[in-house]
Parts: sequence; structure tokens; C-alpha cells
Amino acid sequence: MPPSIHPVDLVTALRHKHLTPAIVFLTSRRACDEAMETFDHADLVLPPVRQEAIAVALERITVQHPSIAEHPLIPIVRRIGVAAHHAGHLPSWKIAIEELMRQGHLDAVFATTTLAAGVDFPARTVVITQSSIRKSRDFTDLTIGEVQQIAGRAGRRGKDLVGFAIVTPSPYIDLTVLTKGLTGQPEAVDSQFTISYPMVLNLLKAHPHEQIQGILAKSFAQFQLNQRAELLEQKLDALHVQMEPFGPRVCTDWITQWQTFDHARRHRHTRHQTHRSESPEISARLPFLTPGRVVGLSRGRGIVLRQYRSKGQKNSMLTILRPDSAVTECPVTSVKEVFDRTYDCAEIPTYPWCSTETFDRLSHQLEELPPRLPVLPILVSTSSEPLPDAIVQSLGDFPCPTCPSRPACQKDFMTASRLRQEQQRHTKSIQALRTSLWHRFQERVEVLQKFGYLTLATQLTIEGEWARLIRIDHSLLITELIRAEAFTGADPSLLAGIFASLAHDDDRPGAFPRISAGLSSLLGQVRRLAESLSPYEDPPLLRADVAALVERWVADPTLTWIGLCRLTTMAEGDIYRLLARTLEFLSQAQALRSTHPGLAESASHAITLIRRGVLEELP
Amino acid sequence: MGCDSVLSTQSSALQSMTTDELEKLLAQQPVALLHRLARGRVHRHFRAGKRRLIELLLQHSASNRAGFESDLQTLIEGQGSRTEPGPSRTHPPPTIAHKKTSPRGAEPESAETTISLSAWLEGLGVPSPQPFVPDPWQSEALSALNETDVVISVPTGSGKTYVAVEAARRAMEDNRSVIYTSPLKALSNTKYTEFSRIFGPDKVGILTGDRQENGQAPLLIMTTEILRNLLYDAASGEIDVRLDTLGLVILDESQYIADPERGVVWEETIIFCPSQARLLLLSASIGNPQDIADWLTSIRSTVCRLVRHSKRTVPLRAGYLHPNGKLTPLFRTLGIPYGHPNQLHPEAKRLFLEYEEETLPSGRPRR
Ligand SMILES: Nc1ncnc2c1ncn2[C@@H]1O[C@H](COP(=O)(O)OP(=O)(O)OP(=O)(O)O)[C@@H](O)[C@H]1O
Ligand SMILES: [Mg+2]
Repeated sequence: MPPSIHPVDLVTALRHKHLTPAIVFLTSRRACDEAMETFDHADLVLPPVRQEAIAVALERITVQHPSIAEHPLIPIVRRIGVAAHHAGHLPSWKIAIEELMRQGHLDAVFATTTLAAGVDFPARTVVITQSSIRKSRDFTDLTIGEVQQIAGRAGRRGKDLVGFAIVTPSPYIDLTVLTKGLTGQPEAVDSQFTISYPMVLNLLKAHPHEQIQGILAKSFAQFQLNQRAELLEQKLDALHVQMEPFGPRVCTDWITQWQTFDHARRHRHTRHQTHRSESPEISARLPFLTPGRVVGLSRGRGIVLRQYRSKGQKNSMLTILRPDSAVTECPVTSVKEVFDRTYDCAEIPTYPWCSTETFDRLSHQLEELPPRLPVLPILVSTSSEPLPDAIVQSLGDFPCPTCPSRPACQKDFMTASRLRQEQQRHTKSIQALRTSLWHRFQERVEVLQKFGYLTLATQLTIEGEWARLIRIDHSLLITELIRAEAFTGADPSLLAGIFASLAHDDDRPGAFPRISAGLSSLLGQVRRLAESLSPYEDPPLLRADVAALVERWVADPTLTWIGLCRLTTMAEGDIYRLLARTLEFLSQAQALRSTHPGLAESASHAITLIRRGVLEELP
Repeated sequence: MGCDSVLSTQSSALQSMTTDELEKLLAQQPVALLHRLARGRVHRHFRAGKRRLIELLLQHSASNRAGFESDLQTLIEGQGSRTEPGPSRTHPPPTIAHKKTSPRGAEPESAETTISLSAWLEGLGVPSPQPFVPDPWQSEALSALNETDVVISVPTGSGKTYVAVEAARRAMEDNRSVIYTSPLKALSNTKYTEFSRIFGPDKVGILTGDRQENGQAPLLIMTTEILRNLLYDAASGEIDVRLDTLGLVILDESQYIADPERGVVWEETIIFCPSQARLLLLSASIGNPQDIADWLTSIRSTVCRLVRHSKRTVPLRAGYLHPNGKLTPLFRTLGIPYGHPNQLHPEAKRLFLEYEEETLPSGRPRR
């Protein structure tokens, strides 16, 4: 048995059951083209009346879109009423086929699935031959949403009482993907928000830095991150309840006490390393010096807001809230006493490291502290040597042998510390969810500062002012090329060639061996710069063949469209898209009229030269 | 529940429900469903127990009863489709009688009966011409648009364009300008032709990266990227004065917000869309349109209205065509058995197994 139904048989079967017009979705352009070839000698010819109607309709469309006049598929379209429609074709051809379809002249259109989304031509029947789709080099299963977009083309309102989605197998089909797709609920959509360099520049052009976080918070991305954070908060609430029996005992922070002890006992031979040269006393304190902890300093007391490490400081650092709402930074060594008292502290990732409410409350609580506070006993283990077994044994199972709550603590420790770890984990995740966009923004800001598009105060520099107008892929590479004067004196064809290689992101092969020396050397320069920028921006494909092709089109105004197509193995539709994308990129360079008049003028020239023939047909 | 007929009576009853009835219905639902319903309506709803939750939900429902009930209905239906099919005695055996507008695609049939090919093929054809009457959801969307932003999520081919055209017409009659965006240049061109035909060529313009056609027209068509750029220029002071008179922004094919490369552009456009302009998002069926609407509500000045349904206007049937030319229904049922992917027609199953055995001697296909 053949691996899939023969196109002629398919159309015959569809006609026989009155299931035409149909759209047949095939895996590749090639499959569509091959399907067309099978109709060359087929005797499925339409009655003369319909053939005549198609001819008339085509003629009318040709007036508007002359480029379809010579299309090799026209005889088949007219004789048999079938056509191919895919990205390898010119837009004008696709428009023509869509129009013929809308007017009801065709029986079947063979199309690729890439075009299923958003294309406006329904039919009575949709034939599905595949369950996966090529997405950037890999095949992935169709989603439920995609299956329904494809199948949904079937059944035209006002023209059909019923629509049909017909599955016919090919070697790549997984039927369950399709049955699930047809019967299921479409997937939820997820935000794909990314922060690009132009976005950063344009945001900072219009808004002060401190407003940006609020703007990013308006994204759907943040909306969805918040949903996830809320779920975790729900869990956190539940954990809070579970933690209730394990609140403060004789010492408020008995869990940390026990953790330290437990750690010392269990890992006494593989002691965790202390940071730098912190003394054992200091490193033993660190786990207790968390936000909300009350500490004694050489003068007065304070509440820890955060613990951090700083370059050039031997010891860990603390940010501490002092009386009168003063905030100071000091090394942990300046802590004289760690008190057995902590307060809730809602942490935030920016100064003053806790929420405004927390800050106000803590300031108040600091004033209200009783004059005497219990000091927290902290078990110190010497870092260089394991805790002597004798000491561990003398401690028994317990760091504070005389404490009355010892049995209770001993019993609860495992559960309590597990719950607390979970709490900490959730708290961290929530914080990450709430702030990740902002961090990504900051990362971009740093890169833009490094390259001199932003000042340290996050104002746009002179360079940033024009760079923000380049709002396309590879914007950093393009602006850096402009700054490196790579395009100075470049004539329109050279410029168009380079922009083509920047714009074209399709790796479908197409050969064009001859490339001018000027273009070749400039392309080399672009490649080197792209390489050096790769830590900050993914490099473009920079294909020499497409660059050369566009250079030729611009350099030689006598070159016809057919002549251009003969120069390469690329499909017409791909050449058209290449030129259209190049136009889009060039128009961004054209926008730099006031700062880079030479470049803008050359770009504008290139645009005029590109727009001829087929490229003039559409707005 | 598990039997669709119960669900449908329940859901159709929803329209004319007193508060008492609504409360009763809510009380019958599992807590998880109530929580899902409360999302975006009741602050910190997860803290509330079932009784309190119902109380809060009822309070909230007063402000937008219709939206509330339709969400409840959707949730109940969604729940029904997750439960396994039970043999349903309440349905008559499947008949070939074709209903012009079957209520919900197809109901799962009992296990013993399967549709025949001739029954499956019956009823195809061209409907007699009908005068144009807007669908209820179309009118609902248009009237909601007088007051708020609107998100529409309906299946392909339902008639979203009608809403776009009417909304644009009303805005233009009000002397306000309209921007319509689509994700693809090709689609923009089609709409340019279509809208020029409807409104007259002088009323419609198109903007592309490097060209403007009739750029001063009150209805402008562009790709979403171009609009995003316009909004950035407006935000930084290079004001396009016309944004002041902008009354309506229509984003067609909004499900593109999930596109890995370009989705971000839809978010930027929505975030920076001027507040005096109404937003109309047109989308194919997606799983979480309520999230999109809730999001818009949270960032825009009005409460965004969601208009959704999942019923296809023209019912769809699925078939299986074997390479030897043999055609059979794909499912046991006449229509598509929504929620029941395993109800394969025995003939389709047999033929497909045969196909797999013949074409793939070494197991699963490579993909
Ligand atoms: N109320 C109605 N009654 C009858 N026909 C209608 C109605 N509304 C729209 N139509 C017709 O339905 C067809 C499909 O409409 P339209 O192209 O707007 O669908 P859509 O929802 O935009 O689909 P897509 O997902 O393909 O973009 C059109 O031919 C239109 O004239
Ligand atoms: Mg549409």
C-alpha cells in the first residue's frame, strides 16, 4: 500500500462524496509541489463552463497582480481546479488562490500547515495528513489549539451546513495527537515576554527609571507570574498554620539552634567551610543574623534588614535598622550581641530591603524594646577541626541540657525544621517570581551602560537617543556597526546586501556563488563584530548568498524578477520575503535621518531601488 | 454529574436564575471550582472556606451577573467534559436526522452504537440564504464595547470580523479614529481590500514599515509591530497627534500573544495603548481567555469584558480516509465527541492499525 493517498485519488474521492472545496494540508512545500505534478496528466478535468469561469476570474486578478500572469501552475488550476498555496509562492499568487477559493472556483488547494494560522480562506473540507509541524528545525506535535485552527477552516458560514475534517495517514502521523486535538480544550496561552535592548531604551526615554518596575508589572508576564506566586502564597499560608505549634519556646529561635547543633553533630568530619577568614564565632552567628533579628551593637541596638557579602570586605555585611529609622551598613563583627528576639520582616530586593509597612513597624518595635533582652546562646564549633567527640557526647542530643523545653524541642525539631525549610524555599520562589522581570530589565540596563547607550544614572546618552529607533532583531549589532562606521560610504547596494544578511533568518539553503569583494569584506567585519557581541545578543545567520542576491537586485536596475530568481535556488516566495524583510530593516536605518544623514540617505536610496516589479504590487 | 443532559439543563437554566437558585447551584459545586471562579473576583479567596466563599461570590456577582453566570457555566461544563462518559440512557440513539444547529457539536453516544458512513455524510450542502442577523455574542460584544474593553475568544470562522467592522463604524461615526492590527502583512492587505470595500477607499489606510497608503484615513490597518512603534514614539514625545482622537484599537488574532518570538509585541501594545481608546482583542479559541480579560482589567481603567463561546457555528464532523480511498467516520459519533478522544470509530481504528503495521515494520514513526 502506498504510504499516503495519491493526490489524484484524494481529489476524486472528495469530489465523489461532494466534499469539495477542500484544503489539503501537507507537511512541506515540496509535497504540495509534487502533488501538483501528479495532476499534469490526470483526466479529472472540469466541465468547460467551470474552466471558463476560472479563466475569467484569473484574468481579473491578473490586472491587479500582473506577476501571476505567467505562473506555471495556471494550466492545472484552470483545467482541474486544484492549486498549491505555500510560502514558496509570491503573495500575489496566494492572494489569487485565496480569491478563487472565496469565489468557489476551486475544488482543492494543497497548502502547508505553517499557513493555517490566520489565513482567511475556509472550505467545506479540510484534509489533515500530519500530526506534527516543523518549528525552527525540529518537528513538534501539533497543539490542540493548532489542530483546531487547522480543522476550523472547514465549514464556511453561510455556504455549508456541515464542515468536514478528514484525516488521511502519512508516514509521520500520530493519530492520538489529532484525536486529542479535535476533541480537546485548547491550551492556555502563556506570556512570552522578553526584554529587548530597544525596549529598555524606549522605556527609559519616556519614563524615569523608578517608574519602570511599575510598567513591567503591567505585563501579562507579570500577571501570570503573580498567579504562580499567589499559589505559593497559599501554600505558605498553610505552612504558617502548620508551624503554629512550633513557635517561640524558651528561646525564640530554637529551630535554628537545633539546626546548628544537628549540623555540627552530623557533619563533624566534613565541616562546612567558612567564608574567607571568618572566625568560628562569627560564622556560627551568621545563620541567626537574618532579617528581623534584634542585635546589640557597640552603641545601642538594631534590627537586621539583610545580610550580604561585599567585595573588599573580609566579613559578611549587615544592613541594620537603627533607632530613629536610620539605616546603616556594618560588618557582622560589629555585632556585639545576638538577642533572642525576631520580628516578621517582609523582604524586598531593593533598599531598604523590607516593605514600607515592615520598615515602619520595625522602627516602632525597635523603640518599644524592653531594656533587657535575653541573649541567644550560640553553639560555636571550631572550623578547622571537627567538634571533639567528647564534647558532642557530653552535649548528648541537646545543645542546651538544662533547658526545660528540651524534650519538646527534641521531639519537634525534625518536623519543624522541615516545615521551616519549605517556608524559606517558598518565600524565595515568591520573591523570584515577583522580581524576575525587573532583574532581567536591570541586566539589559547594565549591558547598555557598558556599551554607552545609557548613563550610569540610566539616562539615554547621545548614542542611546538614536539607537532606540532601531527596533528590530539584532539591534545591538546594528547600532554597534553604525557606531563603528561600518556603513560609512557604503553605497545602497552594499548596504542592502548587509541588511539582507542581518534580516534573513531562514536557513533553507539557496546558492548564489558570486559575491563582490566589497560585500565580502564588509560581511567579514559584521561577522567578527557579531561574534564579539554574542554574549549579549544572539548572532544572525549572516548568509553571504542572500546578501549577494539583494546586492545584485539593487545594483542592477535592469535585472528582472525572473532574472533574479534564476540567480538562486531559493523559491520566489522566499526571495520576496527576503526583500520585504530587508526593506523593513532599511526603513529603520532611514529613520536615523537627523543623526546619520549619510546612512539614512543610502538606505532610502536602497529602498527605492528594491521596490520595483513584483515588490510594487502590494502596499 | 457526568451526564451531559443534566449539565445542559443546568446551564440553560442559568440564564434566568434567582439569587437563591444561584446560591444553591454554587453550593452543589466542589470547592476547587468555586476557587477557580473566585480568581480575580475575590481578594485572597483561598483563605475562605466554602460557605464564606459562596457568600463572597454572591456579593461579587451582583456587579456583573451575566459575566459571572457565564463563567460559572463554562466551569461547570469544563468539569463535565473531564469526567468519564457514562452510558447515557436519556439520549435517543443517534439518528441521521441532521439538526441545522446542533446544540453542542455532538454528545457522546452510548458505547454500542456507531454512526454509519451514509449517516455521517448526510446533511451536507448549502444552507438556504438567510437575512443577516448578528449572533447574540456579536451583539453582546458590541454593546459591551460602548463601556469597556472587550476580549473575544470564539472558534475560527465564527464572525469576529463583523464585530470589528461594526465597532469601527461606530467609532468613526463618533469622529474618532480606529486602528486595526493583524499579525501578518498578508492579512493586513486582505483586510485593507475588505475594509476599503465596506467603508470606501478614502476612509481606510494602511501603514507598513516603509510605506504609507492613505495614512490620514480614520481607519488605519497595520501590523502589530508598527502600532507598537507608534506607541513608543508617542510615549517619548514625538507625538502623533492622531493618537488623541484614537477611539478604538482592534487587535486581530490576539492568540499571537503566545508566539515565542513576537508575543511580546502584543503585550507592549496593550500596555501602552492610550487609556481613552477602547481595546478590542479578537482571538481564536484559547484555554485561558479569562486570564487575558483579568489581566486587562488589572491594568486598564475599565473592567474588561470577556465574550467567549466554544460552539462552532457550522458543526464539524471528522472522517478518516484510507490511502486505498476508503472513507469512514473517524469517531463513533456524528459530530466530534468533545472531551472523549477515545471514541474512535471501529472501522477507522482497524484501518489505521493496518496502515501502521504495513508502513512501520519497526514500531513508532520517527518524527
Ligand atoms: N451573524 C452572522 N450570520 C451569518 N453569517 C455571519 C455572521 N457573522 C459572520 N458571518 C459570516 O461568517 C464568515 C466568517 O466570518 P469571519 O471571517 O469574521 O470569522 P473569524 O471569526 O474572523 O474567523 P477567523 O478565525 O478565520 O479569523 C464570514 O463569511 C461572515 O460573513
Ligand atoms: Mg478573522
